[in-house]
Amino acid sequence: MHLEKIDDYRWLIPRTYKAGMRTDTMIFANEQLLEAIRRDQSLEQAANVAMLPGIVGRALAMPDIHQGYGFPIGGVAAVDEEHGVVSPGGVGFDINCGVRLLSSSLTRKEVQPKLRDLVHQLFRDVPSGTGGSGPLRISDGDLNQVLEKGPRWAIEHEMGSEADLDHTEERGCIAGADPYAVSARAKLRGKPQLGTLGSGNHFLEVQYVDEIFDDQTASQYRLAKDRIVLLIHTGSRGLGHQVCTDYVAQLDEAMRRYDLHVPDRQLACAPIHSPEGQRYLKAMAAAANFAWTNRQCIAHAARGAFKRIFGEDTHMPLIYDVAHNIAKLETHIVGDRKKRVLVHRKGATRAFPGQPVFIPGSMGTASYFLLGQEGSMRETFGSACHGAGRVLSRSAAKKGATAKEIQKELESRGIMVQSLTREGLTEEKPEAYKDIEAVVDVVHNAGLAARVARLRPIGVIKG
Amino acid sequence: MAPEFELLEHTSDIGVLARGGTRKEALLAASQGVVSILVDPAGFGPVEERYFKATGRDEAAQIVNWLNEIIFFFDTEGMVFVEFAVDSWTKNEISGHARGERLDVDRHEFRTAVKAATYHQFESHETPNGWEIRVFVDV
Repeated sequence: MHLEKIDDYRWLIPRTYKAGMRTDTMIFANEQLLEAIRRDQSLEQAANVAMLPGIVGRALAMPDIHQGYGFPIGGVAAVDEEHGVVSPGGVGFDINCGVRLLSSSLTRKEVQPKLRDLVHQLFRDVPSGTGGSGPLRISDGDLNQVLEKGPRWAIEHEMGSEADLDHTEERGCIAGADPYAVSARAKLRGKPQLGTLGSGNHFLEVQYVDEIFDDQTASQYRLAKDRIVLLIHTGSRGLGHQVCTDYVAQLDEAMRRYDLHVPDRQLACAPIHSPEGQRYLKAMAAAANFAWTNRQCIAHAARGAFKRIFGEDTHMPLIYDVAHNIAKLETHIVGDRKKRVLVHRKGATRAFPGQPVFIPGSMGTASYFLLGQEGSMRETFGSACHGAGRVLSRSAAKKGATAKEIQKELESRGIMVQSLTREGLTEEKPEAYKDIEAVVDVVHNAGLAARVARLRPIGVIKG
Repeated sequence: MAPEFELLEHTSDIGVLARGGTRKEALLAASQGVVSILVDPAGFGPVEERYFKATGRDEAAQIVNWLNEIIFFFDTEGMVFVEFAVDSWTKNEISGHARGERLDVDRHEFRTAVKAATYHQFESHETPNGWEIRVFVDV
């Protein structure tokens, strides 16, 4: 595919590339990342995003873009609230998969001697929640409250404080969430999974601040070099997966009634204001609220684990919690006027100016704390990338080093890892992902989000 | 031909290419393929039975929904199936049953959770040797 180079960080797939594109697609990447991106169907899928009915501005692809189904992972599309569609596949199965970063009153020097105990404790207290087993027993009424209120439910049950809500995107609750738009099957899947990490690329990392790029912001969040932080990466678990499954099926039926056509059936969609579109948005909001509550419950359990090892006075304030699989109604400037749009972010983080943005690297490599910049409002509907982005398929990643060898290699670099499965290590090894430094370099230099601090792991818990 | 499956490369997800002498056999092979992504099937026996019902407006929807039954029973009860049977496959619905055993992480090897079966690059068609189904699952 021929791309028009705009500058060192921007490339364009013109709308003339293929029939059905309603707008251009802009790729944020450098030459090195593009080489990796070209190895799979990512660019073709990025062009597909531009076919979404009602899309406004450009379709967007972040530097960590990789092949998903229908939509690439690392894609952003804003559609007109009045005339556009909502696509569950444009959000993904793991609704409100996201990251939460907690600071701490501890330094690397204090944690290092007790690291093994800490990792074991975290592994015990934050289960992966496989096969219908979880740490919290909640009633059907509780589950409905979680879906409606989000982490406020957890705070009412003494799992956190009001300050946690102040540092969560949307205060952890998208208005309009309707528990009755969520199927019984979705509730059955989700109920035993509240407070669980899941498997795949989800993780918990004990990290230290390795380098600070923006002193003022870092000190505002009380971050100093060698300060210990905790990064949590998980989402809405089986509940969200089932909501997506249910609504892809319903919208697949509905599309025929609305005479809508998409390049991949997995991108089934319906007009935002149709009964089907509205019902999906209510269910998606409920699943998003479940995910924020899940990360809240995990943060509570992790705080308990830290206190057990380092004493009751260990303080772990929340820096921020941000979603990276979601569709949200927001106001943006389109052309020269304000417009209400539904921004689909699939594997992309909201990055409003001044808002913390977290970009986790692959297992064992650095993660970044950035701050959203004005450029994101001008160019990406307030979005930035969400991770390093895979380059190897899971089966390709499994070839080579065994889980034990990877664990040993990480330990030799001072990183203690505990994983429920061998796949958690082999499929997620650092080489399976793009270079986090290059990805962060692009969003920083493109003016979407600016580096605040680099974080390096010393303890990793995998599902 | 004997039912068989292979796992396909995909950057973020996993594909199952299943073959059988008939469409039904290919579906059973695809089911075994999905189970092999979740766990190492060795060590599981046909201890408990569950009924499967997969409705849909066409074959793709029915097959995707059938495979989603496997994921649903795993997520809610930890059930891992080793034997599958299709009782009937009508224009609108596949019904059948499966036998398996609940996952016990001390005895069994769990591999990775599967979020859902998808329509992405879905194929189901007759071949000179029988039938072939290709389906990608999100992990």
